Amino acid sequence: MRWYCLNTNTHGCRRIVVSRGRLRRLLWILLTLSAVGLILWQCAELLMNYYSASVSVTVQFQKLPFPAVTICNINPYKYSAMKEYLSELDKETKKALETFYGFSEGKSKVRRSVDDWNSTGSDFFQQIPLLKVEDFSRTATELHSGQKRRVEGSVFHKDSSIVNSGDSNDIIGFQLCDANNSSDCALYTFSSGVNAIQEWYKLHYMNIMAQIPLETKEKLSYSADDLILTCFFDGLSCDKRHFTRFHHPLHGNCYTFNSGENGTILSTSTGGSEYGLHVVLYIDEADYNPFLVTSTGAKIIVHDQNEYPFIEDIGTEIETAAATSIGMHFTRSRKLSKPYSDCTETGADIPVENLYNKSYSLQICLHSCFQKAMVDSCGCAQYAQPLPPGAEYCNYKKNPNWMYCYYRLHEKFVKEQLGCQQICKDACSFKEWALTTSIAQWPSMVSEDWMLRVLSWDKGQKLNKKLNKTDLANLMVFYKDLNERFISENPANTLVILLSNFGGQLGLWMSCSVVCVIEIVEVFLIDSLSIVLRRQWQKAKKWWSHRQRGRAGKAPQGSDPERQGHDNPTPVSIDEDLPTFTTALRLPLPQDSPLPRTPPPNYSTLRLDTAFTEQLPDTLEMGRH
Amino acid sequence: MAPLRAGLMAFLLATGSSMNLKKYLVRALHRLQKGPGYTYKELLVWYCDNTNTHGPKRIIKEGPKKKLIWFFLTLLFASLVFWQWGILINTYLSYNVTSSLSIGFKTMKFPAVTVCNANPFKYSEVKPLLKELDRLIEAALERILQPENSSDIVSPPLDLELWNQIPLVLIDEHDKDNPIILDIFETNQTAVGNERGMDNETRCSHQGSENCTYRNFSSAAQAVTEWYVLQSTSILSKVPLHDRIRMGYQAEDMILACLYGAEPCNYKNFTQIYHPDHGNCYIFNWGMDEEALNSSNPGAEFGLKLILDISQQDYIPYLSSAAGARLMLHQQKSFPFLKDQGIYAMAGTETSIGVLVDELERMGYPYSDCTMNGSDVPVKNLYSQYNTSYSIQACLRSCFQNHMVEICGCGHYMFPLPEGVNYCNNEDYPGWAYCYSSLTSSIKQRQICIDSCKETCNDTQYKMTISMADWPSEASQDWIFHILSYERDMSTNVTLDRNGIIKLNIYFQEYNYRTISESAATTIVWLLSSLGGQFGFWMGGSVLCLVEFGEIIIDSLWITIIHLISWCKGLQQRRARARYPDVPPTVSELAHTNLGFQHEAGGAGLGAQALPPEPGTPPPNYDSLRVQPLDTLGPDSDTDTE
Repeated sequence: MRWYCLNTNTHGCRRIVVSRGRLRRLLWILLTLSAVGLILWQCAELLMNYYSASVSVTVQFQKLPFPAVTICNINPYKYSAMKEYLSELDKETKKALETFYGFSEGKSKVRRSVDDWNSTGSDFFQQIPLLKVEDFSRTATELHSGQKRRVEGSVFHKDSSIVNSGDSNDIIGFQLCDANNSSDCALYTFSSGVNAIQEWYKLHYMNIMAQIPLETKEKLSYSADDLILTCFFDGLSCDKRHFTRFHHPLHGNCYTFNSGENGTILSTSTGGSEYGLHVVLYIDEADYNPFLVTSTGAKIIVHDQNEYPFIEDIGTEIETAAATSIGMHFTRSRKLSKPYSDCTETGADIPVENLYNKSYSLQICLHSCFQKAMVDSCGCAQYAQPLPPGAEYCNYKKNPNWMYCYYRLHEKFVKEQLGCQQICKDACSFKEWALTTSIAQWPSMVSEDWMLRVLSWDKGQKLNKKLNKTDLANLMVFYKDLNERFISENPANTLVILLSNFGGQLGLWMSCSVVCVIEIVEVFLIDSLSIVLRRQWQKAKKWWSHRQRGRAGKAPQGSDPERQGHDNPTPVSIDEDLPTFTTALRLPLPQDSPLPRTPPPNYSTLRLDTAFTEQLPDTLEMGRH
Repeated sequence: MAPLRAGLMAFLLATGSSMNLKKYLVRALHRLQKGPGYTYKELLVWYCDNTNTHGPKRIIKEGPKKKLIWFFLTLLFASLVFWQWGILINTYLSYNVTSSLSIGFKTMKFPAVTVCNANPFKYSEVKPLLKELDRLIEAALERILQPENSSDIVSPPLDLELWNQIPLVLIDEHDKDNPIILDIFETNQTAVGNERGMDNETRCSHQGSENCTYRNFSSAAQAVTEWYVLQSTSILSKVPLHDRIRMGYQAEDMILACLYGAEPCNYKNFTQIYHPDHGNCYIFNWGMDEEALNSSNPGAEFGLKLILDISQQDYIPYLSSAAGARLMLHQQKSFPFLKDQGIYAMAGTETSIGVLVDELERMGYPYSDCTMNGSDVPVKNLYSQYNTSYSIQACLRSCFQNHMVEICGCGHYMFPLPEGVNYCNNEDYPGWAYCYSSLTSSIKQRQICIDSCKETCNDTQYKMTISMADWPSEASQDWIFHILSYERDMSTNVTLDRNGIIKLNIYFQEYNYRTISESAATTIVWLLSSLGGQFGFWMGGSVLCLVEFGEIIIDSLWITIIHLISWCKGLQQRRARARYPDVPPTVSELAHTNLGFQHEAGGAGLGAQALPPEPGTPPPNYDSLRVQPLDTLGPDSDTDTE
């Protein structure tokens, strides 16, 4: 111990041994201990902060790849073409409007349809009728029979029920029951009939659409020629060949400009409105479905070629009879994945199958997760999301129970009970186009006349009427500047820096290094262990010799040489140690080197003997054995 | 060997000749010999024992087995230290930066606000200039739209000179291989009929020459607009600037009301600038003449409120089809590039714009490749004639214009002119349109400009939150129109309507700045402390240890020199003895041996015995030297024992 303290490279320890006076020694012990404590604390801090990241932002001015721009008409399918599929549903809706709100467009027509209704009779509308609920009595008026009945089961308010409208009699909603167990019902009510009718319509609409095959649906929707009147990109003309069709379940046919499908991604080398994408869209307002969509225009989304466009979630709406100018600013971000943060690079480590044929994103994961849960619990897939392998879309004929199941599941999903939000992680890198949208009147009063005429001519002869300006939307998407901002996280610490910080701490408090650590290990573990072992051995030895003595009774002889040996080897051992030193100095050895039996006074000051005394008899004995 | 010896002798002779130098050398040698020891081994051992670095001491102190371990450990640690130092220095030289983000509200300069009309000139003013062109395009449209009865329309004779330079044609691409090209004004055309055609512009570099290209448009509307823009550009470029300014919208007609914070302002607070795309533009708070205004409060009440009139009836019908005001927020003393960064405001609405200043402050060279003021960019900034600061847009446009002047011989109307160059027009430069279009579509030219322009180090963007509402409301519109008309024209007639009037509110948001500023991640202080940390961590060393090490190297160098000299000496003497076994050494040689160090070196080295002792010259310092090692030994052993 003493030997260690004297010879160690750390500063404090030496002081403890060297200082005189109890108080001072105590002080030094305290100081050393506190220094050790400080080092441990600081090093722990350093370790804990090891996985922190620093953010760097770089701006690069360069030629930028133009993003994919997906454009959809807000109305998914041509109403005229959908008539045959939706006639019954529309009749039902009109009847509901008349019954509950006294609204009718042309009395005679509705009367006739009501008469029709009674004759045809459909089964599945009856299952989920619109109900007028009287809140307090908990009775509901059914649409067709007009009879009141008690509503059982729990009541869900689809709208936020913070403000309860004064007359609760007007609450309208619909009831979903478990087909197998009719007592298990959920009643969905809405504070406004507008919402109720739309939700109810959508429910049935999805039901109908689920039965129509994809090819038919694509035909029912708008073609590229229908939607895109003119197209201009980077100062050059473009046409429908530059657009890729993409069928969205809720928005019908959407068209993606620059989808990268043919392998080439267009890029812009000049910013500004002249050099971006400039399209005039034809929005056929007359052919809109009156119940499904209530707004007019187009929806666009700017996204990466590998990303799936979630039009329904993050689309930007485009107004008709106006020029919408969208300036983009490109930002690319990159996070560090594990262990710095909990994000995923490719999504391969997420236990949810990616149903979309696109690169991973949080949205994709959540939707896929929900769809999977839907297939698992309801036995069929929800219409708005892609089909998992081996599943099919829900419809009434095959899965009469699906709506109830869906609403229950959706409720759970929103309340984070399905665990999707926990499983899905955000992606580590993402691209973002920040949009600045502004609107101007288009066409201007003076140019309206010729513009509409020329555009009508462009549209071709199959459309014989002159276009109306509310059927048109002008859209400009361009880069405001070609500065790409790249925000990336970098590890704030590397191993090198961590070690040098350690070294700084050790050096500051105790002037210590790894050598000291090894010394400590050496002294306190290996050496003390060996000392303990040797002592044990000695004890055993002694005990043995005692036994021997006890048996033979001639011990004194044996112990004497041992005692002598204690003195003898001291110089010898030092001799062993010293030669390097003395010979190295090339001292005239013969004069200096003492006889082995006469230890020089110098050597007694060497406190090495403390360490060696225990050792020496042992080595001697070992030698003897 | 002989020449070396001769050189050595010469050197020694030279030293012998100047006494001072000799003395100095002698002293230096003595000092050296007082030092650690005489041989490498002694030196090394001495070093290991006395160094402050942690490892070497152990090598000396421990037993033979541990000695080996410690030797390897020390070697390992030393190499680790050097490796890590290499990494650290590399990191330092890569000039990384760290970014810090700050968000909040502070009193800031209100951005400069440029407002323009989407239409550059009043149609009533430019009508005489564009009369021929308009008649031409009307006739062309008639022919396109109603090909059957086009001949019925009796029109006054058209100025076909304009037309012939860049005619509009129809291309029928039903037959892919040989498309039919129809000039719209050719009389013997076959009926366009029901076939869907593509509209085209032809551009010939010179009339009659074969160097022609067709620019295809899938839509007639686009073709007509592009064609009209080209033609009108050519016509208007001939008009002198002050006439063009006069034909544009005047400040007092356009800016009807202005309020900044609680302070009233009017059109006189705006700086007029002529913008080639949008005619007269007016800039508020540009900071050119007076100090820029500060805004110290968030919210619409403390921002800029404007009422503009764009008088939509007076638009040029074929030039711009979108109607509205074009506005842009930018920094003081920078040129507004409305086509890039501008936004529209719609007539008949109130547009509110909340502003967040997004700043990026970067370190210049060598941290990133950006420019502080554009002085190191190899492109002549043409926008400096507006007295504006450098920006990347200005650089790109200047670059393009310079190329245009170089290749086509004239400047494009949309960009400022370099000295001594004219704007392109059809009369003087008949091939300019072809030249221009080939230049714009050339990817190579664009890439050259992108490569030669650098972005600025301080990048400021104004993030806008735009919202709109109808304005004026139906209930209020009567009195508002009345008052505004009265104020403008001093008449009781209402001269304004919904289609021309725009209200703008521009104000700071609650958080008005987001500043990302860079600072060097690795400074020299960082480097030193990391280096020190590494050295300390592995070996407990410091700069002093390095100095020690350097000392040892110098010492060993000296030893080498001494060895070399003594070896040469020995060799020479042996030779000398071999050659003249009986002849005593010459006087000069003796003098040299008197210097002492050679003797000493010889004594310390191998040939101490080989040297024949010279009884006649006992060197006085010889003894003292002999003593020195013993002296140094004493303290050494003392320190060891302690």
